Amino acid sequence: MKRFLRERQPFHHILMAIVAFLFMAPLLWMLSTAFKRPDDIINSMGTITWWPHPFTLENFKIDLTKAEEFPIWRWTGNSVFVSLAVTFLVVTVDALAAYAYSRLKWRGRDQVFAVLVATMLVPGQVLLIPSYLLIRELHWFDTYQALIVPAGAGAFGVFLLRQFFMTIPVELEEAARLDGCGPWGIFWHVILPLSKPALAALAIFTFMGAWNAFEGPLIFTDSMSMRTLPIGITIFQGRYSTEYGPMMGAAVLAAVPVLLAFLAFQKHIIKGISLTGMAGR
Amino acid sequence: MIATGCGDDRTSGHSVDPSGKIVLDFWNGFTGPDGKTMEAIVTQFEHDNPDIKVRMQIIPWGTYYDKLTLSLAYGGAPDVFIVHAARLPEFASFGKLHPVGDLLQSTSPPLTQGDFAPRPWNATFYKGVQYALPLDTHPGGLYYNTKLFKEAGIVDANGNAKPPTNLAEFIADSQKLTKDTDGDGRPDQWGFVYTNFRSNWITFATQFGADIVSADGKRCVIDSPESIQASQLMHDLIYKYKIAPRPDGIDSWLAFRQGKVAMAMEGIYMLDSLQEQTGLQFAGAPVPQFGPVPSTWAGSHLLAQPDGISPERSRAAWRLMRYISDHSLAWGAGGQVPARNAIRQSPEFHALTVQSQFAKELPYVHYEPLIPKDNSIFQFVDPAIEAVLLNLQSPQVAMSDAKRRVDQLLERP
Amino acid sequence: MSATIIAQAEQAKSTSAVVKRRRTTSPGLLFALPHLILFAVFLLAPTIFGFYISLHHWHVLAKTHPYVGMANYSAALTDDIFWLAVRNTFYFVILAVPAGNLVSLLLALGLNSLRRGQTVYKVMYYMPVIISIAVVAVLWRWLYNTEIGLLNVYLKGCVTGLRHIGLPLPPFQPVPWLSDPKFAMPSIALMSIWWGAGGNMILYLAGLGNIPDDYMEAAQIDGANAWQRFWAITWPLLRPTTLFCLVFSVLGSFQIFGQSYVLYAPGSGPARSALTMALYMYQQGFSEYEIGYGAAVGYLMFALVLVFTILQFRLFSQRDDIQPKARRAA
Repeated sequence: MKRFLRERQPFHHILMAIVAFLFMAPLLWMLSTAFKRPDDIINSMGTITWWPHPFTLENFKIDLTKAEEFPIWRWTGNSVFVSLAVTFLVVTVDALAAYAYSRLKWRGRDQVFAVLVATMLVPGQVLLIPSYLLIRELHWFDTYQALIVPAGAGAFGVFLLRQFFMTIPVELEEAARLDGCGPWGIFWHVILPLSKPALAALAIFTFMGAWNAFEGPLIFTDSMSMRTLPIGITIFQGRYSTEYGPMMGAAVLAAVPVLLAFLAFQKHIIKGISLTGMAGR
Repeated sequence: MIATGCGDDRTSGHSVDPSGKIVLDFWNGFTGPDGKTMEAIVTQFEHDNPDIKVRMQIIPWGTYYDKLTLSLAYGGAPDVFIVHAARLPEFASFGKLHPVGDLLQSTSPPLTQGDFAPRPWNATFYKGVQYALPLDTHPGGLYYNTKLFKEAGIVDANGNAKPPTNLAEFIADSQKLTKDTDGDGRPDQWGFVYTNFRSNWITFATQFGADIVSADGKRCVIDSPESIQASQLMHDLIYKYKIAPRPDGIDSWLAFRQGKVAMAMEGIYMLDSLQEQTGLQFAGAPVPQFGPVPSTWAGSHLLAQPDGISPERSRAAWRLMRYISDHSLAWGAGGQVPARNAIRQSPEFHALTVQSQFAKELPYVHYEPLIPKDNSIFQFVDPAIEAVLLNLQSPQVAMSDAKRRVDQLLERP
Repeated sequence: MSATIIAQAEQAKSTSAVVKRRRTTSPGLLFALPHLILFAVFLLAPTIFGFYISLHHWHVLAKTHPYVGMANYSAALTDDIFWLAVRNTFYFVILAVPAGNLVSLLLALGLNSLRRGQTVYKVMYYMPVIISIAVVAVLWRWLYNTEIGLLNVYLKGCVTGLRHIGLPLPPFQPVPWLSDPKFAMPSIALMSIWWGAGGNMILYLAGLGNIPDDYMEAAQIDGANAWQRFWAITWPLLRPTTLFCLVFSVLGSFQIFGQSYVLYAPGSGPARSALTMALYMYQQGFSEYEIGYGAAVGYLMFALVLVFTILQFRLFSQRDDIQPKARRAA
């Protein structure tokens, strides 16, 4: 019996399950609302009605077909495109830079790196107004460039990957050098292949950050066709009332890709983080 | 949208399309059914004016003024746009609007003051220059739940629900309509609920002769005895007479939709929100007169053009503006009260029950302060009103605090 | 024969070493350049330009932007609403960071000790993180509604039920989660903890995974119970993770914006109790269009964060390598 308890850990599971319910409850509510009619939503407020009555797909229909008012495909497409582009940009640029700060010696290297680290403390909002004016100067307002390119400026990824690169044994690099590899060769043939977990971790963090980015898209775009999903969803929140049904439907749609991405990559993320040395030795 | 920033013509890039038509950009915030109505009018305009193409962009009001302001400042401004009466002075004071006085004369028959309701007409002027064409007025009126009224026995000789017309009736009716139906010691049905604090407060305050700023727009007078009296009354309705719940933000409107509240004062634009709630029985009436002065909050939509628009495009834009005005009956059906006298006096308009009830208020509507800093003063006024209604501060304290800050703001260049 | 080869190899090594010294000065810069360009244009330049703006009276629609020196800064420092925003933000950080990290750590510990079914729970705890803040705020605004919100409905049910079975509780008064200034920030904090706990949980899981199993086994053999094992082994070895999580939690929390923006915005909450520094800055810049003043608020915010972070580092680096037992003795 004792071994059964230790193996199956029932109390443990019960506790975890209760906590899981607490975490999931608001989301289950979101899911339930997405399938309710507007009247039903209003009437069931103040009561605990989990099951939609009647069950309807009309919110999703509104979301997916009223393209001029809520171009949800466009928003989703924008979010997908921008998030992927940002991820690609950040991982590429930051890997190259991290290599420079960890494995190559050059004049001013450490001072420049110190500046980079310092800027990680600058609150993003401080940059909002000047970035906005800069984007206007460049005539990039309401364009994809405005959503993608500035995201490559952050130093977090450089910091993360540098930590990781420093854990790669120097001997491997030396061996490659003896084979005649220059810095690029070492980077491509040695560093990158060994860094897959860390790169994956950075990629998924960047993707999720870009997917849920709020203030940047809020300021740099304003036409319906350029909005990303998180901003687009706020349109359901009018000045005077909120259309909960279509909004929750849109929210469900918005959550699905990220959920799938997380399910696919969660083991890699954790492995990647632990290997960067940030999480202890 | 291609943003251009330079050049004399501040309007957007593609002004002529390949077939030689003039392309006008028209911006407004009419989401929902309002937008459909306007779209229909615009489509008809294009049909009747084959040399002009209109690109209408609907931007939800929450971000509308951001976009409009930024486009007027940095380029990409539309040729025709809607501006609320309360916001016109701000844009006019920075020189961002194109005067339209001459244009009113230019089409035939010319439009004059006599064609419009006085208040929206006057709101189009800033320092003696006319900058816009009035389209409509949307006053706050009384919505009331006819089923709850009948249940409480508040009916007229024909058995129809009878809304209150003054303070005494309002309190008496509300007390009958506030009930604790499930015996838990707290009312589940209320006589009244505050939905939009700002517009509700303006209605109450102006009925007592109070206002936010002085007539010359230079001083804040929100701490006047009349204002405090009105604010105290609003406070008492919740905490002394107990006929309204402590308000919980904009979702208070939901309580009316749910049929849990018998009365609410809101704008005509909330009409379709109610019409889509199946089973709700409601009607509209002018707001009760709580104080000595007949008055109610209102906003008005005006049509304007940006400063720097070329004469040719201005004339084309004017044709659109004029057309919309001429055809504003359809606009009235959508819910707004048209500013054109002829249209309001038509039998078709009278057939629209809630709208025509609300239209009775037109002679005494009261706008938000028509000053350039109108938008900015509310960052201090709104929290003061909220503090009173949530019982966080007494009216005296809240209003004198607001006065101090607003005066400071008005003094800054 | 082998000596020659060795000699040749040695020579090749030293040659390549010389070559290496000469060649790697420029490649380093080349590798760093793409990022540096983006950094300079989109991070450094705006930071400097922003400071320039803060020295002017700059309204978006105005035709001129006169230089006013530090006038915006002194206006902010004498603005009681600015200080209210500062206090609110600090309050949020104090409420959300320790509690949030504790929750994340507990979740990670719980997951770590499960033999089976880890993934299912992990995903469920992480789900809130993938939802956008706009949706989170709208959901919780609904949950928190005083009259008809789910939270109060459940609480009412619980209290009424407990009273029915005889417990001497007072009748239920709905909690004004969002409309009472005393509750506004705690409500935001609770919502934020719910939203973000999963994120730090992942980091703590990674940290826990790095603790070698043999340490734990050795301790078990020595007779240490779970509590002792935690304090003697887990907690100290988690320190890098904890430090990392705390620093970034604090950094992120100082910038809190989305919650108040979606839940409240305009005045920002009852008696402005939900007005944060970032929101105040945004409002001044993008609602009032006084971007000079808004920028000044932003830079004051930056200064505060900088000071606080430096203090944090000082605090943590002093406590390095102190054994728990030694601390108790001292």
